[in-house]
Amino acid sequence: MIRRYITAALRSVNILIALLILAIWAGLALAAEPALEVKGVDQDVQSLKKELVDLNKDLFKLEEELLYPASTQVAVFLSVDVGTFFALDSVTLKVDDKEVTNYLYTEREVQALHRGGVQRLYLGNLKAGEHELVALFTGKGPHERDYRRGTTLRVDKGVGASYIELKISDRLASLQPEFVVKVWE
Amino acid sequence: MRQRAMAARALALFCAALLGPGAAAVAKDSPRREVRDLHYGDVLFQFFQDDYFDAVVRLEAARDFGRLPNHAAEAELLAGGMYLSLGLYSEADRIFNRLLAGSLDRSVADRAFFYLARIGYQRGHYEQAARNLSRIQNPLPGELQPERRLLESNVLMALGRYAEAATALKVWDDESSWAAFARFNLGVALVRSGDSVQGRMLLESVGNQPAVSEEQRSLRDRANLALGFALLQERSGEAAAVALSRVRLDGPFTNRALLGLGWAETDAERPDRALVPWLALRDRPLLDSSVQESLLAVPYAYARLASNGQAAQHYRQAVQSYVRESSRIDESIAAIERGGFLDAILATSPRGGDVGWFWQLKQVPDAPHTRYLYHLLASHEFQEGLKNYRDLRIMQVNLERWQDSLDSFDDMIAARTRASTEREPRKTDMLARTDVETLALREAGLAARVAAIEATRDVPALASGDEARQWQALQDIEQRVTTLPPGGPRETLVDRVRMLRGALSWQMDAQYKRRLQLVKRGLSEVDAQLVEARGRVGLVYEASAQAPLDTGGFAARIAELRTRIARIGPGIDAATRAQEGTLATLAVRELTAQKKRLASYATQAQFALASIYDGAAAKVTP
Repeated sequence: MIRRYITAALRSVNILIALLILAIWAGLALAAEPALEVKGVDQDVQSLKKELVDLNKDLFKLEEELLYPASTQVAVFLSVDVGTFFALDSVTLKVDDKEVTNYLYTEREVQALHRGGVQRLYLGNLKAGEHELVALFTGKGPHERDYRRGTTLRVDKGVGASYIELKISDRLASLQPEFVVKVWE
Repeated sequence: MRQRAMAARALALFCAALLGPGAAAVAKDSPRREVRDLHYGDVLFQFFQDDYFDAVVRLEAARDFGRLPNHAAEAELLAGGMYLSLGLYSEADRIFNRLLAGSLDRSVADRAFFYLARIGYQRGHYEQAARNLSRIQNPLPGELQPERRLLESNVLMALGRYAEAATALKVWDDESSWAAFARFNLGVALVRSGDSVQGRMLLESVGNQPAVSEEQRSLRDRANLALGFALLQERSGEAAAVALSRVRLDGPFTNRALLGLGWAETDAERPDRALVPWLALRDRPLLDSSVQESLLAVPYAYARLASNGQAAQHYRQAVQSYVRESSRIDESIAAIERGGFLDAILATSPRGGDVGWFWQLKQVPDAPHTRYLYHLLASHEFQEGLKNYRDLRIMQVNLERWQDSLDSFDDMIAARTRASTEREPRKTDMLARTDVETLALREAGLAARVAAIEATRDVPALASGDEARQWQALQDIEQRVTTLPPGGPRETLVDRVRMLRGALSWQMDAQYKRRLQLVKRGLSEVDAQLVEARGRVGLVYEASAQAPLDTGGFAARIAELRTRIARIGPGIDAATRAQEGTLATLAVRELTAQKKRLASYATQAQFALASIYDGAAAKVTP
């Protein structure tokens, strides 16, 4: 009698194993990175995303042209060239003795700067004529010491947009960081 | 996850490679590339933070503004890479094809073909992918080469050309993690296609390889699980048990391995040993299908060991558990059908606003909506859909933000127009009263006069007021003296006038040089002021010419952008609903299948229970 039950149970076991194998192999198929089946929704999303990129581009341009017309625009960029003698924490920027930005850097942003990215630190408007720009850099200098350094630039703002680059580089001769200001034509 | 991490790394490397000989801008430890356009650097700043959406928007805007004259080619390549990373396959495809149509450096062309092949594979265009792979002429640099090999083998497998895929992998002498992954893929594919001997051999090699990282350990577990079940399918219980025993006890594949191990032991006629993994499994959370199945497996093993009492007790517990779980699944289905389940899932993922192809759900939340959806949520199809849904939600927020900005822009334009209208009469009046050119003519006349004074050394011309009066008086006196009759008094007067004139001349002459300098300096100052005045008047005219035009132009642009937002918005909403609907259907289908499975398990348990009772009754019946 027992044998009959076991036979019946074994039959169901076979089914179970088969089901299990199917399930396991279906799961494993994920590992093989199945090709993306392009679906209607996905195509719609792609086309919407492209429209959104274009829209954002046009809005970005409008915002800049409206808020910062070329005749008064001044953009200050920050870059890091090597920068082994200085670990950047923050930058404070003053224009004509008025603080216009005080930026604290995340590790991710610092890495992006080290990899060659250039941050647009400030975008604003200035009337034509002479202006004073002061940048204060804080961070860690050589030997992990707290380091604070300022650099000043007198800018003669013309009628076109002005681009100014603050560059943190290494002065190898003195093993000290160097803060250079460059006005781009 | 492994694939995505690799893909992310590969994209970064790809973009690095595409950036030409100085590709190195991307690779941290390599020499940096000089940024010759500040705005290109700005794009890279966003790109290096993996913020591809913002980076591509800035890149496109900078191109429109003509701000990337020195990085045009790199910018195009970078754009292609970023569109790909955003899941915009068609756009990326278009860019790479356009680049390939031009004259490209061979190594760059090879990379572009590689990525076109990748896009083709991801979109299921395997033949196209194979064609693009065959166009690559030289080995790709760095990690791209093993990825190319993997892609080649994947494409061949997708085309059903398993033997060629195996040959392609055999020549792969690289022992990198890519190679192990490729061997695993091929092993699975071969077993599925019926060539289990070859397939098992490959899985065996991956399943026994040393593993130092979590990724490698996970792959090894996966290979052992696949191998174990392949052997189980062939009823090689002993060998299956060996493979399944190699799976870690605390990994993502533990439950399935424990279940399989029990069946392998059963297959090897060792039901007592099968109880060990199954009893361990049944104490785990019942959400997992392997655990659910163990409820049935444990009493089965007891029955095999003729412990019918224990078997009956476990079957009864199993039935109760299945019924309870089934009703919880009903709750899940109801929760999903009420809507909002995707938002509930997304709410558990770390915050971050990036639209991105590499985003994926890292943790499955334990909520009524998702409790039973672990495997579905981990599936490629669901992840793709969820990612689309997330991107759509981010797009909605993006549009709302711009909508608010446009309202502010409108206010700004209105204020500017108002200010311009108020300024206009004052400006007109001021301009009417300002005649710079007449002043300039007067200044020119003065300059000519000074030049003549200097040329003729006309000293009296620069006399002071008193001197000029005295000079004039002397001239008058001289005139009158000449009318006097000749004689003593006249001569005396003439001498006196001459003496006074000499003294005055000497005095004026002494001052002449200084006075001439002063006059010339004054003229030059007037000249500078005239230039400045001209400039200011010009600016006023320029500003007055531009102001109405600008506000009108901006207003038109804002109106056009608002129309576009109004058009895209409903499209995004509709796609969001459609995506949620699709995923909800998938989820409900999965849950319904689970309910069916639980019902089937419950039926089997009841049947087995009835059989045991039946047997017991038969035993006591004389």
